[in-house]
Amino acid sequence: MANQHAAPVFLNLLRIRFPVGAVTSIAHRISGVLMFLGLPLLIYLLDLSLQGPDGFARAVEYLQCTSLRVASTVIAWSLFHHLFSGIRFLLIDTGTGVNLQQARRSAWLVNIAGLAMALIYLWRVL
Amino acid sequence: MSRPTHGLRDWLMQRFSAVYLGVFLLYLITHFIRHPQPTYQQWHAWISHPVMSIASAIFIIAVLVHGWVGMRDVVLDYVHSLRLRLLVLALIALVFIACGLWALQVLLVAAR
Repeated sequence: MANQHAAPVFLNLLRIRFPVGAVTSIAHRISGVLMFLGLPLLIYLLDLSLQGPDGFARAVEYLQCTSLRVASTVIAWSLFHHLFSGIRFLLIDTGTGVNLQQARRSAWLVNIAGLAMALIYLWRVL
Repeated sequence: MSRPTHGLRDWLMQRFSAVYLGVFLLYLITHFIRHPQPTYQQWHAWISHPVMSIASAIFIIAVLVHGWVGMRDVVLDYVHSLRLRLLVLALIALVFIACGLWALQVLLVAAR
């Protein structure tokens, strides 16, 4: 009796297989938290860039240094992943693309699109 | 503490703010694709345009609402000790309020 109702406990993080939708979902959370952490940096850069031509030039220059290239690329990934997966969640909320096959396909699309946009940001924008 | 009825309200706020944030971000992205690498004058003129100023101020408020509900949900899921939870939530609220005021001030100064 006790055995019948006990949930299986299997929490080896290295061996748990995440379905693609779970990756999209947890990445939505992680990207949200990363943007929260990046908020002061973004406002600082906006502030600096609007303080006159010198401040603008400095903000552009800061974005070229290695640490800010890394940080801003992480924030860009966060933004794009959060945006794309957010649109996906809103569509699923309204009943669009709910069946498993469609949901898996859109999860793959969102995960790849977020990474692709981050790479475009790194190579073409920075 | 929050009453059970607040769940639906927060859920709706999260989605309404999400729609505004999404539309604004898609506009930002298309703007940057169409006008890459602006000069300072172009940058400043764009942000200080009255329509853009107001849309950006609403964006900041939407970020505060959306970010608060999201961060609070994350804390409620992972921080179980009541004391620590209150402390972390208070710190997050402080960061959001400070960032919101700072960003609005930046917009106001630019629009002057």
